[in-house]
Amino acid sequence: MFIISFLVRRLAQGALIIFLVTLLIFTLLRVVPGDPVRLMAGGMAPEALIEQIAKEMGLRDPVLVQFGRYMSGVVRGDLGQSFVRPASGASTGGSSFGDATRGERADVLTLIGETLPMTLQLAFLAIVFAMLFSFLVGIPAGLSPGRWPDKVAFYVSSIFISLPGFWLGIVLALLLSVKLGWLPAIGYKGFAYTILPAIVLAVELSPVLIRTLTGSISSAMMMPFIAVGRVRGLSQRRIIFAHALRNASVPLLNLLGIQISGLLGGVLVIEFIFDYPGLGLLTINAVLQRDFPLIQGIAIVTSVIFVLINIAVDLIATLIDPRLEY
Amino acid sequence: MKGMAAFGAGAGLMVINPEFLVSGAAAQAGKQLVFLSAENITGNWDPTAHTTLSQKNIEGFVMGFLTRTPMRVEKPDEVIYELATKINLLEPTKLEIKLREGVKFHDGKPFKAEDVKATFEYGSQPDRPAQWYPGSTETLTITTPDDYTVIVDTSKGGYPAHLFIFLASYLPMLSATDIAAGPSGPLSQRLNGTGPYKFVEQRGNDTVLEAYSDYFLGAPTIPGISFNFVGDSTTRMLSLMNGQASIVERLEPEQVATLQGNEKVAISSVVSVENKYLWFRCSKPPFDDPRVRMAACHAIDRSMLLEILGEAGHASANYVSPVKFGYIDLPNYPEYSPEKCQALLAEAGFPKGQGLPELEYITSVGFYPKTKEYGEVITAMLQEQGFPVTLSVLEIAAWNERLYDRPGGGPGHMVDCGWSTGSPEPDLVLRTHFHSSSKRITGIVDPELDASLDKERSAASLEERKQILQTETMPMIAAKVPSFSLFTSVMIHAMDKSLTGLFIYPDGSMDASKGAFA
Repeated sequence: MFIISFLVRRLAQGALIIFLVTLLIFTLLRVVPGDPVRLMAGGMAPEALIEQIAKEMGLRDPVLVQFGRYMSGVVRGDLGQSFVRPASGASTGGSSFGDATRGERADVLTLIGETLPMTLQLAFLAIVFAMLFSFLVGIPAGLSPGRWPDKVAFYVSSIFISLPGFWLGIVLALLLSVKLGWLPAIGYKGFAYTILPAIVLAVELSPVLIRTLTGSISSAMMMPFIAVGRVRGLSQRRIIFAHALRNASVPLLNLLGIQISGLLGGVLVIEFIFDYPGLGLLTINAVLQRDFPLIQGIAIVTSVIFVLINIAVDLIATLIDPRLEY
Repeated sequence: MKGMAAFGAGAGLMVINPEFLVSGAAAQAGKQLVFLSAENITGNWDPTAHTTLSQKNIEGFVMGFLTRTPMRVEKPDEVIYELATKINLLEPTKLEIKLREGVKFHDGKPFKAEDVKATFEYGSQPDRPAQWYPGSTETLTITTPDDYTVIVDTSKGGYPAHLFIFLASYLPMLSATDIAAGPSGPLSQRLNGTGPYKFVEQRGNDTVLEAYSDYFLGAPTIPGISFNFVGDSTTRMLSLMNGQASIVERLEPEQVATLQGNEKVAISSVVSVENKYLWFRCSKPPFDDPRVRMAACHAIDRSMLLEILGEAGHASANYVSPVKFGYIDLPNYPEYSPEKCQALLAEAGFPKGQGLPELEYITSVGFYPKTKEYGEVITAMLQEQGFPVTLSVLEIAAWNERLYDRPGGGPGHMVDCGWSTGSPEPDLVLRTHFHSSSKRITGIVDPELDASLDKERSAASLEERKQILQTETMPMIAAKVPSFSLFTSVMIHAMDKSLTGLFIYPDGSMDASKGAFA
């Protein structure tokens, strides 16, 4: 019963957040400089044609009218069509003329549907790498506060957090791909192409996870129930993994929720550098091309993801620690 | 506790599995040519529907041309016959084109005179966006006495037929069957040519081409081409360095220095057909006064710009590239002279720049090399002479939106832009920009310029035309300076050293029919 009321409440809140984000993005896109019709029709198109296309597309109506029309499509699952991309999904330039001979425009939902799994794959692998590395460094550090594993964790975190992602991406591509030939770096022709960008993202994610894990484990190990566990004759391994880590996992989980949301921002740069065909690369090109429907569609989908991740994190945290109420 | 720390460190080492990583890299190996383009394509495959360089590059692999013009500085007028075997100027307004027999389009249709006729008539329609033709369809009479002879008669348009000689190397030949299906038919859906590579499909940003075994000059050795848009120049370079890409374009000068020391990479530098210009908005103050325009030109020391550009720039003193027909170093081309600048400003009523309105200089970042860097230098040089200029650096889409002339004058007062057309034909630059019927960026309307441009276009022979261009039209443009050509771009490609036999044209398109991996 708690779960149902929790989900209903949080999903209603989430729907409101998504609506507000959509309204904000929609309005902002229409007040920033840059006429998308000029980009669609080409710089050489006459003014009369620009106005004609704009009127036909309803882009000269009041913003709220446009928004209402857009939302009526969204609730029916129609995020519209890209202004510039053809159905093939190619990233196209804005210098072509907006005549009737242009190929069919791609559906926004299709474009997102093709690229989102790629980004989720990248994000998932990055989280796996980050968690693996954080546990390997953070748990020993938390178990040995003030000693060398703790210092190693501190130095590693400090170094990792100081490395700009775009720089690290280029350096790792040079080292692991160009020099050593271990990994492919650019584009995507198979799972191996996900590894290098995932490592870069994992390096960005790890420092905060390591520090949180170190602190949480260290605090948990000071708690009376740990001492009681030793008196009860529990093994060190059982005490750490069944008791200390479980208690330390709640702050880690909350942090992970925020980190995953931030990760979707991090993939913009990383996907651009590695030419990885995910949602990040799609977003950058959509922004550069003033592809309003695509930008709006991506904003809605990412808002939905943020909301769902946060709901899931809170729900899991409640299940781990029933004392928590959200 | 120590045991746990050691476990953590040991498990960390286990994460790396070199065997798995090595096998991942081996999967990259392939025989096809992978081209990484700096520019994206359009959503329409119709060659008459765009002016986008990257798509012209793809057309260079797929489409057939009547002639090809290598356009090297030492021999800018050279013409090589391909689908045409002979082009005769029968009369000043009548051109005869003899065609090669036995050529087939990729869809199996034999290439004949009807295709040339249909291509010319379709491409010159006023609604076709590319607009490369000297006149509209109504000004042309095209007849086909037999399947392999085409007569182009321009008498109705009043311009000479020899204009088609250079244009022939720039116009991809389309199938009459495709054209008959209309502009919304197969023309816009795919490329169908007679070139060495067949269009297979567009897969996201990857244009997939495969060797055409019936190519009339012999089947290509390289079995396929993957033409990809990759927006970031560092990414393109890394991809070449790790062997994923075979050839990359638009290198930054620093990248050239990096790659020159790489034994697996070869660099190709070609003086291109593209000049980079500072375009003045001539239809609004203060640059509606040629004296102010000339003053701005005298304020700019172009040798400093070339220092910034390094290998990516080539000195020139004309409105067309040195590889274009009619190029000469113009004796009256504006040189750096602060004294002349000040004298002209005073004469125009703006001594030391006083009284000039706030000026905006628009440039782009992300496509052309070093635009921001040399834009800042130009801005500083203009400010030094009293021009109240601010520089607006825009990303490509925003810049493109603000580039062209509009009623009342385009945005800003000066714009940076290059202009590149893969033909020796100078009118693709001169007439496009400085004739009042087009005036793409400058918005200039000047009857004297119109008359001179009409005169050189209407010259009875190429020799006469060259003389008019070099002694009248080009010097007149340099005197009126509707724009200031800063330098000629050098097209820099870096490629896998084992790739041989590739010919790169000065517009960046290439002939891969003789290409091979050693």
